[in-house]
Amino acid sequence: MPGKVKVVNRPESEASYVRAATKGMSITLKHMLDPRKKTQQYPDEKWELAPRHRGTHRMEVHEDGRAKCVACGLCPTVCPVNCIKLVPAEDENGERFAAVYEIDEFRCIFCGMCQEVCPVEAIHLGVHYENAEYSRERWVYDLERLCEQDHDVTALWDPADKASQ
Amino acid sequence: MAAEASTTATKAPPAPDTVSLTIDGVGVSVPVGTSVIEAAQRTGVVVPRYCYHPGIPTRPAQCRVCLVEVEGRPKLEPSCTLEAQDGMVVHTASDTANDARQAVIEFLLVNHPLDCPICDAAGQCMLQDYAWVTGQLKSRLDEPKQVMGRDRVADDILYFADRCIICTRCVRFMRDVADNDSLIVAQRGHKAYIDTFPGQDLDNPFQGNIVDICPVGALVHEDFLFKARAWDMDPAQSICPGCPTGCNVTIDTKENEIVRLKPRWNPDVNSYWMCDYGRKRLVMSQRGVRSETPLVRGEADLRQARWGEALDWLADRLRALGSAGGRAIVSADSSNEDLFYLGLLLKRLGVDSTMFTVETGPTAALPGVPKLKLRADRAANGAGAEMLGARRVSRGDLNGANGGGVLIVLDDALEGADQFWGADADLFIYLGTRRPEAARSADAVLPTANFAEMDGTFANWEGRVQKFAQALAPPGAARPAWMVLSRLLARLDDTEQAVNTAETAFDRMAGEADAFQGMTWSGLGPKGAIAPGAPASAEPAGPAAPVANNGRPGS
Repeated sequence: MPGKVKVVNRPESEASYVRAATKGMSITLKHMLDPRKKTQQYPDEKWELAPRHRGTHRMEVHEDGRAKCVACGLCPTVCPVNCIKLVPAEDENGERFAAVYEIDEFRCIFCGMCQEVCPVEAIHLGVHYENAEYSRERWVYDLERLCEQDHDVTALWDPADKASQ
Repeated sequence: MAAEASTTATKAPPAPDTVSLTIDGVGVSVPVGTSVIEAAQRTGVVVPRYCYHPGIPTRPAQCRVCLVEVEGRPKLEPSCTLEAQDGMVVHTASDTANDARQAVIEFLLVNHPLDCPICDAAGQCMLQDYAWVTGQLKSRLDEPKQVMGRDRVADDILYFADRCIICTRCVRFMRDVADNDSLIVAQRGHKAYIDTFPGQDLDNPFQGNIVDICPVGALVHEDFLFKARAWDMDPAQSICPGCPTGCNVTIDTKENEIVRLKPRWNPDVNSYWMCDYGRKRLVMSQRGVRSETPLVRGEADLRQARWGEALDWLADRLRALGSAGGRAIVSADSSNEDLFYLGLLLKRLGVDSTMFTVETGPTAALPGVPKLKLRADRAANGAGAEMLGARRVSRGDLNGANGGGVLIVLDDALEGADQFWGADADLFIYLGTRRPEAARSADAVLPTANFAEMDGTFANWEGRVQKFAQALAPPGAARPAWMVLSRLLARLDDTEQAVNTAETAFDRMAGEADAFQGMTWSGLGPKGAIAPGAPASAEPAGPAAPVANNGRPGS
């Protein structure tokens, strides 16, 4: 048995979609014309990051492509989450170098202490945020991969310029 | 105590053989002839020092960092050569003394490369420490630093000339303690560096000590180069297993591997030193394939078993055999607790013949420390094995026929025995750190921990019982032999208890074994104690035999 259906007879001015659509489009139009707000066309347009943004690491290299790291062991010591693995060794010139240098970016909390402690300005955090990977293992960056990164390095906080201007 | 000493310093007439002085406001009485630096140490004041080392008799007072102010004297005096005198008032940290010290450190840093990040001494470097303490943290030097590079003073010791502060500890250790003139200071002033005498090589069985006494990172042992930072290592107080001398050592480990050995001070055994053979031997003792799982005889072959299963199986077999007799072979590398608990088991099985063999090698002596020698035996605990009733025999006797009964081998390598050896015994139990070919016919192979992987004691050549502490985790299921044997005993006898600490094992041994009567684990202390049943000293008087082969294995 069909139930009773209450039929509401609203006036045409209220029932029409035109009014709602116009209202919605006017908001859209307002945002289109508003100079302060805009939708970012990611990934065609990239987000502009602050110079002190702390993202995935980058290792600085010498002109000949060798990593600047001297394997002093200060970054694994200072790292609060133990995400840096370092095995120092002696190279063919008798210099100390990092035979193994791995940073687990998944574990990293991007505190930047490794960059701050580095005596030779080798390891840096990067102004970088695109890090999607298909596997967890890929998040462990080895030395080669850290050297290959070409994004900007993070600027350290300057005590003389507290607001970074 | 300080106040009491202070009053004696002013009021009581000093005994004729002591002098009383005041150091930094604290009175102290010391024997006549004590230097101020040593007197200060008694009051808890460590005066900075580079050239002074308590183990080296000569005091050149050339580093000038231990300068102290003495009231009534016009100039600062080096406290290492300044003899303590009655009524002396010394200020080790007055403004004058601190200024002088700061200037000395600043001069030392003029040509120092400050390569602390790659220097192996960083973190335990006296130059780093004192530079920090003096507070001069900015260099005022405009000139470029002198670069000298690095050299090799011995086949396994590197010398970084730039880091060297010419304290000459190494030269004086070799000359005055090791009686070896091959190390010298070449050139003078800022050009000075350490080198071997032209035409001579540094080749001494005790040369590794120069690395330990180097206050900075100038001398580095090649085996340790770039291995680990000072703060990464876990130290364990241990005993060198290389020979019956039983040198006290600190084993530095990193990630369950030995990275370095340092001698530990014990005036009754090794003073501040140890030999190079011991250093190599200890590291080598950790190499190779280890026995990691208990194995028991299955239908035909050995099969893996859990510990409880293996010990139950073994207890059943031993119960069936009863007091069958037989013989036991032990290793002189086993701890006293291992040997004692094996003895308890053997008594129960009616085995009265326990034997061991020790390989011998060349000896070496350190002229400056008569007691410290590389002794001929190449095992640490021969004395302990004899005190616990084992008999020393030749390798040939050891590998002879067994003739029935139980055969228990504790960690002997069974060198020279073939794979059928031991098949003539009714039950052949092999407890060991490794599994040699000759243990193939064993009915049970039980993996044990070596001395670096457990707590325990060794008795050295004169019967001094010394503790060693665990440095590493044992591999796989390996456990200390005393732990395993006490559990086997507990299965055979309800009155026996499974033992979990070396202390319990030792205290039981001290209660039951005559040679250790009355000793206690805590009573051993850091320097060890002579056992009541110590062997009469068999040490021949006079200088040791000349060193052959430089005291090193296989070189």
